[in-house]
Amino acid sequence: MQALRNIWFLALATCTEGIRHRVLWAILCLAVLLTMANLSITNLFSWDLGKVSVEFGLSAVAFAGLLLVFFLGLKILADDLERSRIFMLLSRPVSIWQYLAGKFLGLSLVLGLSTIILGLSSGLSMYFVLSHYTAFVPPNFSWISYVMAIICQWMSLVVVLAVSVLCFSFASSPFVALLLAISSYLVGQNMELLRRVVIENTHAGALTGQENLVIALSWIFPNLSLFDKKYVAAYGMFFSFQEFMLLLLYGVSYSALLLYLATLLFRRKELA
Amino acid sequence: MSKRLIVHILVGFLLLCFYATSYNALLHHGTAVKQAGRSDYYGIWNLSPTLLLALAGEFKGLMADYLTMEAGAQMGTHVIRSREGGFKVLKKDYNWAGLHRLFTASQTLDPSFAQTFIVAQGWLPWEPANMVLETQEILKVASQNRPWDWQPAHAMGFNAYYFLNQPGEAGKIFLEAAKTPNAPSFLSILGARLAQKGGETETAIVIMKSMLADKDSEEPGYSDIADRLHALEGVWVIEQAVKKYEMSHGRKPMSLQELTDSKILQNLPPNPYNLDYCMDTAGIIYFDKPDCRSSAPESK
Repeated sequence: MQALRNIWFLALATCTEGIRHRVLWAILCLAVLLTMANLSITNLFSWDLGKVSVEFGLSAVAFAGLLLVFFLGLKILADDLERSRIFMLLSRPVSIWQYLAGKFLGLSLVLGLSTIILGLSSGLSMYFVLSHYTAFVPPNFSWISYVMAIICQWMSLVVVLAVSVLCFSFASSPFVALLLAISSYLVGQNMELLRRVVIENTHAGALTGQENLVIALSWIFPNLSLFDKKYVAAYGMFFSFQEFMLLLLYGVSYSALLLYLATLLFRRKELA
Repeated sequence: MSKRLIVHILVGFLLLCFYATSYNALLHHGTAVKQAGRSDYYGIWNLSPTLLLALAGEFKGLMADYLTMEAGAQMGTHVIRSREGGFKVLKKDYNWAGLHRLFTASQTLDPSFAQTFIVAQGWLPWEPANMVLETQEILKVASQNRPWDWQPAHAMGFNAYYFLNQPGEAGKIFLEAAKTPNAPSFLSILGARLAQKGGETETAIVIMKSMLADKDSEEPGYSDIADRLHALEGVWVIEQAVKKYEMSHGRKPMSLQELTDSKILQNLPPNPYNLDYCMDTAGIIYFDKPDCRSSAPESK
């Protein structure tokens, strides 16, 4: 019970720190501007305006979220070390796993807040576009699919955050952690593509036909392409609730595993 | 003036000259490359589809939007300011192969995007690009990825009939398009009529009308279809008159002059191509071969 209380306290403190951070507001302002740009950019197209609008709105959410994870998330973690605040926490009855879980949960809340704000603002601009150009609303467009796509986007960011925490737990410096996290993100985004290249491309050199290798990699790296539902939401395609729930389950279990590994590695980290 | 100040002025002047020369050379180089027509067609769309997909990551849709806009910008009119103060439209030398790569790159990233296949259909199959088969490929991908939309298949059918002169194939494509939910009823009629042989003039008129139905008169290719439509309508009027003549005289007219002399037609209909209509010895009417009687008959 005390452990949960510690985690919750840390999560709230991290969330408050994130909100007070000027970087968060700068990123949010940029993202809100990008969402508002949705209105003018959509008008540059003559067909499929609904698709352009939905895709632009969801991309703004993804872009701002990535900036938050890579810059704000890692900065908050690194600040604890650089300003020696971590010693103050760990000298109290707070274990390393509670510290990492609290930080992770707090940053996930910050991501959740920014996703809600951006999701609402892009939803408003989309509503404007879709109601003004009814001829270009995708035939089976549904706001439920849009909300599900937004939640998947948030879950994808949470997974990237878990990867960043893991990288932070063993990297020698925050910059190395940032590079590793960005590389993992790029690999995770292209996991499906890599699978296709290896299976279908006969010119993939030593990788040709090495499907098992890709399967092994897809179990190690996060398969982020599965969370990308922009295309599905933009064209009003079918997105089953079962798939949605499985995606959430995958995201939660993968993040929990990474946090556990991060705890083990963090114990060995030189904190001084 | 002190010696030191003179040295500073000299060094400053030399550095300024060096900067101005290098920057000027760079600007000239940029203009030369642009005039050679290379810079306009060099970009990420030349990458292989796999690399493009990997680069785009989760922003594939956005990148497809950008590439389609880029295609639109490259196909825009080249306007220069004239000495009198107005603007002059220059005939632009398009790199059609480069534009085709742009469209396919955009479609690789987002195979369902309507803007890509519609703009490609508006430009690529027509003169001077003449990339009918390439356009058919783009339309095929769009048709497969837009199961709710009859328009890609409709354009494919049009190309098969109009450019490739394959009415049977066009008929099959139209019939396939007619199965799409909310497809207009004329598609099935058209498909059935094309799949059968004969009745080509009337069928062509229906196709042309269907193609113009949802087009803006400012769109590229509109006037080409409209001219062809009016010419075919003229042919159809003459064909009806020939049938009437045959019924009343028991034979086909020897020339179109006989139709007007016999008062079955007051005048021959206008031809938008400013050519005389011609009827060959087999009774086939042409709008684009005024000397058809001196050449062997062939199908339209």
